[in-house]
This record gives sequence, C-alpha cells and structure tokens, in this order.
Amino acid sequence: MDTRVITLCYRKIIDINSAKHWDKLVFESSYMEFKMQAQNYSHGTAFTSYADLLKHVPNAQRLVGMVTPAITGYLQQLNGIVPDLLNNVGKRFLKFNKFQFEIISSDICDQARHQVAVNFYTDTLVWHDTIADFLLLADYRPEAATDDEALSNLFKLPPYVNIHSLKKL
Amino acid sequence: MERKNFLKSLMIGAVSTSVLVEACKKDSTVTPTTTTTTTTDTTTGSSSSSGCSVIETETEGPYPTHSPASYVRSDITSDRTGYKMTVNITVNNSNNSCNALSGALVDIWHCDAEGNYSEYGGSGTQSTNYTSVHFLRGRQTTNSSGLVTFTSIFPGWYTGRATHIHVHIYNSAGTSLKVTQIAFPEGTGTALAAVAGYTKGLSGYTYNATDGVFSDGYTLELATVTGSTTAGFVLAISMSVPA
Repeated sequence: MDTRVITLCYRKIIDINSAKHWDKLVFESSYMEFKMQAQNYSHGTAFTSYADLLKHVPNAQRLVGMVTPAITGYLQQLNGIVPDLLNNVGKRFLKFNKFQFEIISSDICDQARHQVAVNFYTDTLVWHDTIADFLLLADYRPEAATDDEALSNLFKLPPYVNIHSLKKL
Repeated sequence: MERKNFLKSLMIGAVSTSVLVEACKKDSTVTPTTTTTTTTDTTTGSSSSSGCSVIETETEGPYPTHSPASYVRSDITSDRTGYKMTVNITVNNSNNSCNALSGALVDIWHCDAEGNYSEYGGSGTQSTNYTSVHFLRGRQTTNSSGLVTFTSIFPGWYTGRATHIHVHIYNSAGTSLKVTQIAFPEGTGTALAAVAGYTKGLSGYTYNATDGVFSDGYTLELATVTGSTTAGFVLAISMSVPA
C-alpha cells in the first residue's frame, strides 16, 4: 500500500450553549469584539445581524479578520494541541499551528445569535493503516530513517473532523 | 493596571448583556444535550454510534484564562519605522458636565510612513504566533482622568486624504459612542512640515481645507502636536462624547 500523508481539519463550533471553560472564553471575547467591530459597518444603517451586514454593507466580509485577534490568545493557550480530539487511550495528541476563525452567525443586539467556529488544521500525519474503525496515525517525519521506530496513535474520525488534505508518497 | 481595567470592563459588559442571555434560556432549556453532563473535557471527538464516549484519562492541562484581544496594547508600532509619536487622547462625557470618562474603550488606527494600513488577517488560515499583522492598530481603556496613551509613529499620507488618525470610542460594554478622526495642524513649524511626508514628500498632498472628511470644519478634531523628528512628537487631543 502507498504511504499516505494527510492533514486533518477539526471544525470546532462554539455558541451560547458551549459548556467548556475555554469555549466560553472564546464565545465571550469573540462576541465582544464582533459587537465592537461590527459597529464600524452598521454605522448609519439599521442592520444588526452578521448576515445582513455581509449582504448589504461593502467590506463587511473583513469582520472575520477583525474579530480573529480577539481569540488568538486563547489559541496560544492550547500550546499547539488540538482540543477535544482524543486517541483511543483518551489523550489529546493532534498538533496544530494553523487555524481559521469563522463567524457562522451573530448579531450586534443579540448575543444568543453568536455562533463561531475555530477550524484547527493539524500538522502532517502519516496514515499507516486502518484497523477496524481506527486510523493508525503517526507524525510525518521525512527526515527520519525508514527503519526508525515511529510513535503512533489510533484515532477514530468523529463528526466535524475531515481529512483535509492527502498526498501519496 | 490597564489590563485590569480592561478585564473589569469586560465583566461589566457581561453583566449588562446577561438580560439577553437570560431571555434566551427559555429556548435553550427545551433542548437537552448530551454534552452538558460532563464538567471537564467532553469530546465531540470520540462519541460513538452507540452514544458512549471514550473517557479522558488526563487532566485538562493549564486552566484557560481570560486573554485580551491582541489589539489591547499601548505600543502599536509593531515592525513599522518612522518618527516616534506619543498619542494622548483625553475623553470626557458631554452628558455629564464634560467630566472625564473613565473605563471607555478607545480604538485607534492609522497608516504607516508609506501611507499603507495593516491588513486584517482575512479569512485564510493563520498561524497562532502571528503578532505584527495589525500594525498601527491598538486599544486602550481610559483611566480615571479619561486619558489613554499610545506609542506609535507619525503617520504618513496617501492620495486624497490629509494626515489623520482614526478613533472609535466605545463604552465599557462595547457600545459605540463615537467614530471620529484626528486632524493635524499644518504650516510652518508644524510636525507635519517637519516630517514632510517622509520619503514621499508633500507633492500632491491633500490639506485639511480640501480634505473630504475635514473640509466641513475640523476645529474639534484638530490635535496639538509638539516635539521634533529627533526627540519624537507628542500628540494631544481632548474629545467630548455622549456617554
């Protein structure tokens, strides 16, 4: 079988019902920033929802980039490890250094409509094999000798996780 | 201290929006979710088709703490070069006998020596260690005297506009109080003349009188700028906003 090198993308959705502490911090901070920055665009209009601003106000698509600096600090607190996703012994193991913040919906006047996502893009992984429902993954280390032992993880793809890229070696 | 104020202001924000949150709880209690039963690290990741989840065997790690937006900084220079300029903005409340307005959030942004603004990160993927993406943009919270101070560089200029600094003032809950711009004095002996548009020069420069934003009158938006190119400049302006 060809060796396949992949990256995963985890789309972590955060809204007013999110219960975890980190999620709540991201929710509160991103909403505050959205509310502040969106008023640069809603100024002089009756629009308050993100969807309406996108549809009717020029350059409102910049909002997502303007809100991102409100959550960068929280991303850094993760120390490069993707949250929530566990290997089969219950540990987080996926490394990331790229992310993409996304505003799904929001409203300057209604925090309950604020829903965002953080897309985590993992570092490159070698997909060695598939065992039952699990992918057998290891960090991709092109510099390592082929007979070097590689530490591996068994991982079952849950909802909101996609194989984002694939390359056959 | 500034950070503390900022944190405090966020808490005030949270309190004032809790009415909304409260109002929405009626809806949200109708839909029980399976993920609310765990207090530590539930995972969407390992829920199986049988509805059970692999339990986590390690601690959550460093407890997440509040982190202010990376706009919150006094020195907004980042990697830009130019003549140093300290920006002192004092905010008072026109609805309260023009007394100092403390706890207000003040955002400023301006262009660099070449006349370019920082781009926002956009919608592409970003690295977690980016820091200089939003050069010459910053946020501070007014102190008990209504003052915020930024360290920056004297702005350059671009076609069609006089030299200016954008200012957006919010109350502590993030509600906009005023969007405005700061204008610069012109003529012999001014900082504008001393900087002389950096390497660009002032040929084709738009002066306040013909500037599309300032031409309808800018006395209230005109700052005082002292100093020199060697010692650095100090900009001071006082603004009244209805809070």
